[in-house]
Amino acid sequence: MNGISANDVLALLPIIVLTIGAIAVLMSEVFLVSGKRGYQAGLAVASAVLAAIAAIAVKAQGPVFGGQATVDAFSIFITVTVCLGAGVSSLVSAGWLEARNAERGEFHALVLFASAGMVLLGMASDYLVAFIGIEVMSLATYALSAYMRRGRRPAEAAFKYFILGSFSSALFIYGAALAYGATGTTLFSGASRGGGLLLVAGLGLIAAGLAFKVAAVPFHVWTPDVYEGAPTPTTAFMAAGVKTAAFAVLARVLVAAFANQSMPGHGAFGGALASLAILTMVFGNLLALTQRSVKRMLAYSSIAHAGYLLMGIWAAGVTESRELALTGVLFYLAAYTATVIGAFAVVGTTERRGAPDEEPGDAWDLARFAGLSRRRPGLAFAMAVFLLSLAGIPPTAGFVAKLLIFKAALGAHAYGLAIIGIVTSALGAYYYLRVIVYMYMRPTEGAEDVIASPALSLGLALAAIAVVVLGIGPEPIASLARVASTSF
Amino acid sequence: MSTLLTIVIFLPLAGALLSAFLPAGEPGQHRAIALTVSLITFFLSLGLWFGFDASPAAAEFQFETKVPWIASLGIGFHIGLDGVALLLLMLTTALTPLVVLSTWNAVQDRVKEFMIALLVLEMAMIGTFSALDLILFYVFWEALLIPMYLLIGVWGSANRIYATVKFFVYTFAASVLMLIAIIYVFFQAGGTFDYVAVRQSLNVGATAQSWLFLAFAVAFAVKVPMFPLHTWLPDAHTEAPTAGSVLLAAVLLKMGTFGFFRYAMPLFPEAALQWRGVIAVLAVIGIIYGALMSFVQTDMKRLVAYSSVSHLGFVMLGLMAITAEGLTGGVYQMLNHGVSTGALFLLVGMLYERRHTRLIVEYGGLAKRVPALAFTFVVVTLSSIGLPGTNGFVGEFLILSGTWLGRIGHAQPLAFVATIGVILGAVYMLWLVEKLFFGPLTKDENRTMPDMSWREIAIMAPLLVLIVVMGLFPQPFLTPAKPAVDRLVGRFEQADARLRAADPSRQPSVGTVQPAFAVLRPVAAPPPAETHNGTH
Repeated sequence: MNGISANDVLALLPIIVLTIGAIAVLMSEVFLVSGKRGYQAGLAVASAVLAAIAAIAVKAQGPVFGGQATVDAFSIFITVTVCLGAGVSSLVSAGWLEARNAERGEFHALVLFASAGMVLLGMASDYLVAFIGIEVMSLATYALSAYMRRGRRPAEAAFKYFILGSFSSALFIYGAALAYGATGTTLFSGASRGGGLLLVAGLGLIAAGLAFKVAAVPFHVWTPDVYEGAPTPTTAFMAAGVKTAAFAVLARVLVAAFANQSMPGHGAFGGALASLAILTMVFGNLLALTQRSVKRMLAYSSIAHAGYLLMGIWAAGVTESRELALTGVLFYLAAYTATVIGAFAVVGTTERRGAPDEEPGDAWDLARFAGLSRRRPGLAFAMAVFLLSLAGIPPTAGFVAKLLIFKAALGAHAYGLAIIGIVTSALGAYYYLRVIVYMYMRPTEGAEDVIASPALSLGLALAAIAVVVLGIGPEPIASLARVASTSF
Repeated sequence: MSTLLTIVIFLPLAGALLSAFLPAGEPGQHRAIALTVSLITFFLSLGLWFGFDASPAAAEFQFETKVPWIASLGIGFHIGLDGVALLLLMLTTALTPLVVLSTWNAVQDRVKEFMIALLVLEMAMIGTFSALDLILFYVFWEALLIPMYLLIGVWGSANRIYATVKFFVYTFAASVLMLIAIIYVFFQAGGTFDYVAVRQSLNVGATAQSWLFLAFAVAFAVKVPMFPLHTWLPDAHTEAPTAGSVLLAAVLLKMGTFGFFRYAMPLFPEAALQWRGVIAVLAVIGIIYGALMSFVQTDMKRLVAYSSVSHLGFVMLGLMAITAEGLTGGVYQMLNHGVSTGALFLLVGMLYERRHTRLIVEYGGLAKRVPALAFTFVVVTLSSIGLPGTNGFVGEFLILSGTWLGRIGHAQPLAFVATIGVILGAVYMLWLVEKLFFGPLTKDENRTMPDMSWREIAIMAPLLVLIVVMGLFPQPFLTPAKPAVDRLVGRFEQADARLRAADPSRQPSVGTVQPAFAVLRPVAAPPPAETHNGTH
């Protein structure tokens, strides 16, 4: 704890790159004369990719900042997932913002700042560092969801997100305080030392705070409104990035907590987590079933996917299936990042653009997708790939991800959990396929033109290729995830 | 030699990719690509047919390829063929070019996408029969739903969306539990998804085996489809375009019965012995129910669809008899149903192309106008009802005799009721022929109906030849299946011996009853069956 070493700085390199990128975008906005803002997305993509490269290239392994953060294969996996996700969603936003004449440097700067927070979360092994990461990420995403100040919806969404997000942050920090009281340390690993009700209560509050972030039922109520109200590229970025970062912290906290077999309430804690997973899978899928707005349906589907990930986290608590479960969770996060960014990107390109002050309630109605396969075959095909992946149908990334998670659950002998999971995922096939029905099997209904932009097409193509490659040749990423899962 | 199977699997996919890069405005190109690729695939698969060694000493799975696929998960790209898989693969590769030809004029809308879907479907079907890794099998099995879903939903008739969603949800929901069962098997077999390794080392208790069998069986039973899980089938068949109906009937349904033969039965023999009675009863109910439902249909496609429920009931009954005859008959009937029901759907499609209606009452007295079509229809019908001399007879006879002599509970009543199904089948099919082709020609629209074109003759001729050849000379088609059937019977004999060792009071439940009923056989057995007597 004596000062900052070179190792610490190296560990922060991805965060530094993202922050410098964000500041560069912001500063360039000040000196901008021409009004051409196309370069900003490029800068954001470049920073995100550079940060990912920095994370891979820097070999600063091990605990840094006196053990408060850890750079290991796990954190590198999270960093790369988050940064590549941010890069692709920046490509998507470039086209989307341009079509709405809403290009501003702040947007990309906020995305990069949020990514910096997410990367920090992936490394955190201390409640305070995690809290800083959560706040950096959340403040940026609150602002991003209010970015389009048109109509009531975005403001409502952002305000709701801000209030509930602050509430969840408060739960987290209160839980951290209790855990500190019980163990005398703010390190995650402290959970293995202490004991008593105080620690259980603290961990419970921390888990509840994170459950808000990952949108687990019953902490999910903000999700549909926020996801629907936020600008679509922001929704894509949030669904992918926030989920990845929050699950990274959850994994580290809970694995540390479950390592303490002697902790009172150990079993109850596992039971609570399993119930959370079941509730999330069941209600996420059931509520998605009834949605006509595709954007809202994807919001509920992101809740459902949080359920499958929670099942993986639960399995990671069982020692014999830990490696399998963490591999599954990491692969799932990577697969989900590619899939959900792509799916929301398509939603963004097809949504109805009203007048500036208008609030089109049917902006994302299923009817918007009617006949899309005739108007834009490539777009429809990409969307079909994303939907099949969300439904977990081979040969897509979503299938391999589900396979890994269910394998982990069965490895932990959680047969009931696995069966509930697989049955609810079969339910999911129905509402995902409904979009395909509209795209391929129904005639166009008074369609407006959808956005066409090279950057957007590139982003979509990258996401679709990632989904197919992860589905057909998942071995490289799966083995990286496996290495990452053994790193702690 | 082992790369040949890989090529046969992925060649259709290569064709689909080629089509994807060509402009959609040139439908002729896409038709030509699909036809060429499917023909090349067929000729290459002939290499598998002639290269297959059916002697008992030969390897169980031939043309094997085994390379790691997702090594960190224990998933391998392991493919290979036994005789049964080979027969079904040949059925697939032989039918696909005919199906492509049949769509030449019928499909005018989005030809590019249609041909791509058809080729991807072919790849998935061949892959399903060739896979020797449980996950690889599951991947092909599920991936197949997507092109079929699109074929029905995009190119189907009026009620297509309802039908295709029902098809997808039924089959998908039924299959997911199989995935859980596969993963469970992975852990119980020492951490491998490899079929051959799993079959050897799977070690689970009776209760677990029973649940695993059910998880597999439900997935397969929906596909077969077995009563009462069949309700998706009439809708899907009726609404699908001709190409979809043909492949659905000829190949997809066989994936269900093949699944029983390859996975559910050999992996969990004790559980299969436990559940065979229930399945056999359901199969017989399906035979009668399908036949009775066929009687009341006014839509000829729906009629053929219900007749499929009936015919597949025979296949399941034969499999559940667990005698060499029953299993062989079941396998043979899979091929027969593929050929004759595939041909029926093609013919119905030809009539539909001419009149754009599927209602039986809209036809009548066509025989004079379209003699070639009528002749073909009659021959196919005779094959479908199992007239001696056609392929259908061989299969049905083997199944019924195998069941009668089998050591399954209530063997004789089951066989007896199933035989009533044969009679009913003859009645409704001949009734259909009469309504369509004979009697007075009442509808004016039918007076100008053209007879079969050369293209249509080219489609039907190979199938007619197959019907007669398979009826008169079944041996070449029975021989490849024999080692696989014998091995399966062997597995069941071992399982039966284990069960009897645990419970000495238990009666033997595998193999044929000898010799009391064998006396009847010379009386009941006409020439085609005698050629088969060597199988046991």
